[in-house]
Amino acid sequence: MLLTTAAYFTFLAAVFFAFWLAMRYRWGALAVVVFANYFFYARWDLAYLAIIPAASSCDFWIGNALHRFAEPRVRRLLVTLSIVLNVGLIASVKYLPVLPWVLPLALSFYAFQSLTYTIDIYRRDAKPAESYLAYLASASFFPTTVAGPITRISTLLPQWSKREMLTPQDGGKALFLIGLGLVKKLLIADFLAENLVNRVFDLPKLYSGAEVLAGAYGYALQLYYDFSGYTDIAIGSALLLGITLPRNFNRPYAAQNISDFWRRWHISFSNWLRDYLYFSLPGLRSRWKIFAYLNLVITMVIGGLWHGAGWTFIVWGAWHGFGLAAHRGWRALHGNPKLTLTTGARVLCGLTTFHFVLIGWIFFRASSLATARDIFYQISSLTISFANITPTFVLVMVVAAAAHFVPQRWYDGALQLYCQFPYYAQAAAIAALAVAIRYIAGSGSAPFIYSRF
Amino acid sequence: MLIPGWPSKMLPKKTSLAIATLGALLLALDIAKLARPFTLAEVLDFRPRDIPNVEPLAPIPPSTRPVTALKRPIIEPNLIDQHDDLRAFYLALWRTELGAPGAITRVLHYGDSPVTADSITADVRSLLQQHFGDAGHGFVLVAKPWAWYGHRGVEVSGKGWRIAVATQVRAKDGFHGLGGVSFEGDTGASSHVELAEDHAQMEVHFLRQPGGGVLTVEAGGQKLGEVETQGSEKQPGYQTFPLNAGAREINLSVQRGPVRLFGVSFERNTPGVIYNSLGLNGGQVQVVVRYFDKPQWTEELQHQHPDLVVINYGTNESIYADYIERYYPGELRQVIERVKAALPRASVLIMSPMDRGQRDSNSRITTVPSLPRLVEIQRQIASQMGCAFFNTFQAMGGEGTMAHWYDSTPRLVSADFTHPMPAGARKVGVLLDQALESGYRQFKAREQQSAARRESANRGSP
Repeated sequence: MLLTTAAYFTFLAAVFFAFWLAMRYRWGALAVVVFANYFFYARWDLAYLAIIPAASSCDFWIGNALHRFAEPRVRRLLVTLSIVLNVGLIASVKYLPVLPWVLPLALSFYAFQSLTYTIDIYRRDAKPAESYLAYLASASFFPTTVAGPITRISTLLPQWSKREMLTPQDGGKALFLIGLGLVKKLLIADFLAENLVNRVFDLPKLYSGAEVLAGAYGYALQLYYDFSGYTDIAIGSALLLGITLPRNFNRPYAAQNISDFWRRWHISFSNWLRDYLYFSLPGLRSRWKIFAYLNLVITMVIGGLWHGAGWTFIVWGAWHGFGLAAHRGWRALHGNPKLTLTTGARVLCGLTTFHFVLIGWIFFRASSLATARDIFYQISSLTISFANITPTFVLVMVVAAAAHFVPQRWYDGALQLYCQFPYYAQAAAIAALAVAIRYIAGSGSAPFIYSRF
Repeated sequence: MLIPGWPSKMLPKKTSLAIATLGALLLALDIAKLARPFTLAEVLDFRPRDIPNVEPLAPIPPSTRPVTALKRPIIEPNLIDQHDDLRAFYLALWRTELGAPGAITRVLHYGDSPVTADSITADVRSLLQQHFGDAGHGFVLVAKPWAWYGHRGVEVSGKGWRIAVATQVRAKDGFHGLGGVSFEGDTGASSHVELAEDHAQMEVHFLRQPGGGVLTVEAGGQKLGEVETQGSEKQPGYQTFPLNAGAREINLSVQRGPVRLFGVSFERNTPGVIYNSLGLNGGQVQVVVRYFDKPQWTEELQHQHPDLVVINYGTNESIYADYIERYYPGELRQVIERVKAALPRASVLIMSPMDRGQRDSNSRITTVPSLPRLVEIQRQIASQMGCAFFNTFQAMGGEGTMAHWYDSTPRLVSADFTHPMPAGARKVGVLLDQALESGYRQFKAREQQSAARRESANRGSP
């Protein structure tokens, strides 16, 4: 059940009404969310009805045990068990499928979210959940199931105990985000994918250097609008139930350097890597500074492998790891020159960072290293032909690129305006959007890119 | 547990009203057919995964030819060869199989973009050569007219050429050689060709013309000779050079311009198959009819003296329903007539295009509506004009195949639902090879039975 389908929105509306009607009894509201979570998983594959409750119950039990036992060895053993369980879950579904058929959701986001629970308790940063239902509701919270944002369970648990009714402001924001997400995904990301990007990355040699370059730029925009569109719908869906999820994107292609990029792109993932992987690697506190650099590379290579067991993802991870390490080294030598840069220099830094990221995206998207090589070869051939680039494609690219740089205050103004609409105008705006998408997009919806990771 | 102090109004009023109104509006739009029809059953659909919806297969209408006209039953379902139209090819293949000296079976495969990177043809070539012997790579262009041009086992690069492709920047005189591409270069223009294996000889295909210059040919670091392209009138020219063992790097350079080349071909002196891949980007039958100079193309075909000519166009035409009905049959007939007039003894095989997909308004990948009609026209014309017919479209699965291909692992077709990925091209190549070899085995069995019958009849007669 993709987050862009009519089936999902019907399901979401049913959950919304059931949740708030049951809210008078906390267990009732939690039961609605747990039921919704498992219903959502079951729509992908019934096998999840066995896997998810079992895995969640194990982590809940491990969390309680971690809290109860003070013996370091036992605690290490318990947290290791949780890590093995969750990493094993990812590996068994993604790399070594144990079922006779392939499961459509990779469970990476579920596993990462679950690990925040046991590792936080192990580090004594959080306490175990008091309610089993609240834990089940948090661990497999359906809006975050497909592709995050990876939310610490310790930040979800207290939100179930809130007493506040959903405010009209939050309700309006939720609907606005869902509408915005649909536009990003269906009108921009899917259009770019269908009309050039997928073709270029399938058979790059069929296209001129200019077309392949346009395809690569198109992919950078497609990935952003696909993923941030999904995130908007996920955040909006959670907000309808009064749950606030963390922000996942902050205009990443406006980043001034590669470290800045990772503070803006897939923020919940980069925070997870930093908090639960980078800081856990050995050597950080040693006097050998090389470990700080080496661990960056290792962290990003593992981050690449998390996306898939392939050389393209390893190269992508290593590319970013070396980039981050180089930037760290440069900063150690020169300090942070952010305040001293001229506008021209800042634009140059932004363009350089974007193209560094773009090279990484080519590896990330290519089906093999040979395809990535073909893409670079075609771009460097400098052949000029725009036969496969339609004016509409150019228009969507330009609008997508410009929209990325829309000032935050414009966005806030539009959101504020929408929230002030009366309820019927809010509904009419979304309905009009649905009809427009139906007629403009036409090609339907492709799966979210990140649902396969 | 009751939440203390929970308000008596249980639903968030404004958002609830907004959602309810939105639901009512969308329901009204659904009833008014302005939105995609949607049923609540979709919410409760617990299929294991989102399976792409594929249109059901629609069978190709049966032949209108009377059954009594059939000489023999069709055993190979997708290769229609009702009147022994492939006889010349099968006989050549038989001679090749017997290993008679110089018994080379030559095939010219004309096609559109799925063939332009030697897709499909490379796999058929490889399979036929495995079974009947490898007589060489055959014809290759001397530079890449499009980035993806290639020929498996041969690396080609060129510089300084003005390239005229029959489908794009055409040569004004219509002289596009055997492969539909003309390369014109002044002094300094050059090409480099690398072969994976040894060949016995190479042949340069060029245009003899008034004022024509000189081309130098080197192989393995040694100068083989020069090609003088000066002539009293424009006409195709050919010059053969022997290649020594180990001479796998060939350089062609214009010593004095202008020189016009069409390609080079490589052969071995052993019995086997030469399968020439002659894909043309954007290729259509109308390109052959309108932009190939008839006498020059005829001479090129006759020079090759192939045993089989495969005409494999249709992908590009398939989206023009009106053209298909009004002009396509006539233009396809003209192409066949030209081939048959030039090569009266050769077999001609019309090979239908592959399935071609598009997304419909419900996001399903479906076959381009006019493609089955085009395939049926090809089948009928092949039957009427003494050509064999290979129904690629049906052999690969018929309508909706590209939806399956797009969803398969590894993916068999690219995201344009038209161009095959390497695995998809191999699948089609294998289908064609299997059909041809199956047809050949049946032909051979029939011939052997007839010979046995004749022999026994002769023995019985006084």
